[in-house]
Amino acid sequence: MTSGIDLQASFIEVLTGLGLPAGVAKVLWLPLPMVIIVAAVTVLALVSTWLERKISAAAQQRIGPEYMGPLGMLAPVADVIKLLFKEDISIAKTDPWLFAIAPLLVFIPVFLSYIIVPFGQNLLITDLSVGIFIWISLSSIAPIGLLMAGYSSNNKYSLLGGLRAAAQSISYEIPLALAVLAIAMMSNSLSTIDIVDQQSGYGILSWNIWRQPIGFLIFWIAALAECERMPFDLPEAEEELVAGYQTEYSSVKFMLFYAGSYANLVLSALLVSVLYLGGWESPIPVSWIAGWINVSENTPWLQLLTASLGIIMTLFKTYLMVFIAILLRWTVPRVRIDQLLDLGWKFLLPVSLVNLLVTAALKLTFPVAFGG
Amino acid sequence: MNLADGVQIVSFVVLAAMMLGGALGVVLLDNIVYSAFLLGFVFISMSGMYILLNAAFVAAAQVLIYVGAVNVLILFGIMLVNKRQDFAPVPKAWLGKAATGLVCVGLFVLLGAMVLATPWSLSTLTPIGDGALVAIGKHFFTDFLLPFELASVLLLMAMIGAIVLARRDFLPGELAEPDETVLTLPERPRELVSSKK
Amino acid sequence: MDFANLAAQLNAGTILPEGIVIITLLTVLLGDLIAGRAASRWTPYFAIGGLLSAIVALYFQWNNPTPNGFLGGFNADDLSIVFRGIVALSASVTLLLSVRYVEQSGTPLGEFIVILLTATLGGMFLSGADELVMVFVSLETLSIASYLLTGYMKRDPRSNEAALKYLLIGAASSAIFLYGVSLLYGLSGGETRLSQITTNLLANNANESIGVVIALVFVIAGIAFKIAAVPFHQWTPDVYEGSPTPVVAFLSVGSKAAGFALAIRLLVNAFPMVSEQWHFVMTALALLSMVLGNVVALAQGSMKRMLAYSSIGQAGFVMIGLIIGTDAGYASMVFYLMVYLFMNLGGFACVILFTLRTGTDEITEYSGLYQKDPLLTLCLSICLLSLGGIPPLAGFFGKIYLFWAGWQAGAYWLVLIGLLTSVVSIYYYIRVVKMMVVKEPEEMSEAVKNYPAISWTAFGMRPLQVGLIVCLVATSLAGILSNPLFNLANNSVTGTPLLQSSVIQPARPVMLQSSKTLDEASVLEAHL
Repeated sequence: MTSGIDLQASFIEVLTGLGLPAGVAKVLWLPLPMVIIVAAVTVLALVSTWLERKISAAAQQRIGPEYMGPLGMLAPVADVIKLLFKEDISIAKTDPWLFAIAPLLVFIPVFLSYIIVPFGQNLLITDLSVGIFIWISLSSIAPIGLLMAGYSSNNKYSLLGGLRAAAQSISYEIPLALAVLAIAMMSNSLSTIDIVDQQSGYGILSWNIWRQPIGFLIFWIAALAECERMPFDLPEAEEELVAGYQTEYSSVKFMLFYAGSYANLVLSALLVSVLYLGGWESPIPVSWIAGWINVSENTPWLQLLTASLGIIMTLFKTYLMVFIAILLRWTVPRVRIDQLLDLGWKFLLPVSLVNLLVTAALKLTFPVAFGG
Repeated sequence: MNLADGVQIVSFVVLAAMMLGGALGVVLLDNIVYSAFLLGFVFISMSGMYILLNAAFVAAAQVLIYVGAVNVLILFGIMLVNKRQDFAPVPKAWLGKAATGLVCVGLFVLLGAMVLATPWSLSTLTPIGDGALVAIGKHFFTDFLLPFELASVLLLMAMIGAIVLARRDFLPGELAEPDETVLTLPERPRELVSSKK
Repeated sequence: MDFANLAAQLNAGTILPEGIVIITLLTVLLGDLIAGRAASRWTPYFAIGGLLSAIVALYFQWNNPTPNGFLGGFNADDLSIVFRGIVALSASVTLLLSVRYVEQSGTPLGEFIVILLTATLGGMFLSGADELVMVFVSLETLSIASYLLTGYMKRDPRSNEAALKYLLIGAASSAIFLYGVSLLYGLSGGETRLSQITTNLLANNANESIGVVIALVFVIAGIAFKIAAVPFHQWTPDVYEGSPTPVVAFLSVGSKAAGFALAIRLLVNAFPMVSEQWHFVMTALALLSMVLGNVVALAQGSMKRMLAYSSIGQAGFVMIGLIIGTDAGYASMVFYLMVYLFMNLGGFACVILFTLRTGTDEITEYSGLYQKDPLLTLCLSICLLSLGGIPPLAGFFGKIYLFWAGWQAGAYWLVLIGLLTSVVSIYYYIRVVKMMVVKEPEEMSEAVKNYPAISWTAFGMRPLQVGLIVCLVATSLAGILSNPLFNLANNSVTGTPLLQSSVIQPARPVMLQSSKTLDEASVLEAHL
């Protein structure tokens, strides 16, 4: 297994080459990944809003955004500018403090969760031993923000939306965590790097989706519910609740919710690709091709190629999942709240428990194939 | 003092201030919704403490369980049962509050003195850090196996009990024949007995 | 450590009786789930069968050469076996009493049994828990199950009030207990096994510290809540009045017995270096409990409340055995709890029966009952007199043994106060008996005048009758034929290494005095 390129090491090397002491170089490096990630996440989320418009337009045989840049690609930028310059309306009889904090509480955990998403062997902020568990626990903070938004808006629709959102999010957290647990059991680790490494070796055949088809479905359904995507977008069901907990929000605060929800969608899709679709691995491993054409794995250009291919692969898989999510939005009807909770508690939860047990049994019986 | 130590001390002070401030807010604020939100805040600062202690797994579990589950349930409870009821102000309520305050301060002084006076046996082992997950797992399946398994019985029973207490025993259509004795103690309340005489 | 090796080290056979209870619990739960209400025909009997087989399993564990299970988490020594037996037996008698009661209130029986079995499980584990985490988890299992049972009659505001009070006070006391336990953990340098804590405290020179005393106080607060000793008793009357009566029966016997087991194990094991302090605190608690419980019981108008206060007083008597800390002290404690099980449950069985037939538990409503229901009158009289300690009955021998052991160990004041307060207690017990037996037909209360025809055929009456008779027979005969119980109690203490290493030798030889004391006490009792 090649370690790929190590950005940190090369960065520090370059700086020390310029005559800076190593300590200073390290301090300079520290904030960089975070800045890059925040910027990258924003771009990823914006791209997905553009995709959402384009794909939904295609699904309805429209054109969608067209004049703002090529193929309307600047539409999200225009959106952001519009939201930034809108008046921040402070509504009478809301609870100003909670009203202001709530969007942050929804937004920050999502962005924080990106610290564990790998784009390559060394392309992530930190490889924590508790890796994926951080994401699960951070995503459990969001319901508090939703309840806060619902409560502080002083509006019945908002409160109902907030309560629904929180109920939905805590109900689907459990099947989600159980599906992840099955993966963690197979890879003997919670670290996202280890999870991807365990799926490498045989190209597309070694991906977890073949070993965990049920887990994959559970994870995807639960992730859609956590992101409040279409079949489960009850908290903001516009026919019933205006816009749920977002009803009273405008301008920057609304943008935080909006960006948070798309960043969350991208995050879920990224994690699907990490957990089930082999992360940055190509369907045919680069090392095999390198072996066939007799190039050493340590050749710099090959390393660069592998790293870029890894990022491209991760993003490709991610946007494939985003594409599916958007298509689902325009093809399936919304479920009722009782159906939603029934599905979560009475179907997904038992199925995911059985999945976990079966995985454990298979791991004991076929240690070779299930990560013994 | 190097950079890491400085960061540690500063984070500790900040987290401690957050935690104490939040906890005081939980107790002292009048609005129960604020108290509940602040409770979540206290839990998060506590998980920050665990991170400082190099216990990432415990910190994440703290957030998941206390913030994500316990606090959300508390908020649910408050928001679903938000019955406004104005109580008549109790005369001389400050007396009770002052007494409570006095007792709390006394307890604090006592515990503080105890903490300072005790020769704590500090462990000399280095924190296990990332290996914690494995160590916790091993403990769960060796010396803490029994409490771990008993907790599952406890949780099962708590769930059954909660459902029994919360479920509606009659559908609204069936309420046609109201039966006073159902689901109550067979004994008559005492007031009834005395008023009958 | 591989699997086989681990399995061997766990020594899981020590929890076989608890395993039987868990299996029973799950079977009842699933049976109730599948068969619905029809399952209530067999679930109570199945549950009782499970509990009895757990007791049989306990019997085969007697004098187990390797009592330590789960790497020190659980200790199945003889003492724990006796206490686990008491808890399981009280639960099975409670089940007999509760079938009709629950049925008549229209609440689901299956869940009631499941929760009661879980409480039993918690109590049984608590009796043998030998490690702080285990102690806490089993204590919580017992407590949370008790809160649920207390609030089981959910349409009744009294039941709700009782459950809420119990929950709030119980949660507070658990928190305090946990704080004390965590102090202990910290002082001993991160040790959770009770038997190791003392060693570690000594090794860390923490034995003299004020921290140990504070830990002790907090731990005692938690234990005293469970056994309802006096400053921590405020929940008892309201909870007893508002809970379903069979639940009260269980709380007053099973839950208390588990609390005493915890007290012995924790105090003797983990606090030997502050032995003087804990003896002092426990003495104060015992004195207060005996005095306050028995005096306040005089003024009660409701039978359940009166029994609540009487149970506080009885807890005070039992604590004498714990305080003196001799072989005889522990043995008398165990013996008294065994006897107390039957007489108190018998009393509650009568209260339940009377309530089911008349719908009241006021003491005044019992007047003239003798005319209408002699069996109930006889049984209630015997049980109450036995609780008071009238000679040929079991309670008398229990008290005598306790007081004798106390006198022998030099705890004169405790014994004197105990004697005085039992005189007081006899007054209020006899008041009820007199009310039932002596009154003329015209003084009969309204409830007794409208007393329904006695019939044992309704669903659930038969088990109640069986429970009543069992308690009646045990209460009347356990005194006269008490030798097996005596031996059991004595053997359980002598067979327990923990107690043998800690027993305080009496300060002076008092064997001469013992017979005299016995005489004195019996004379006193007979005089009353």
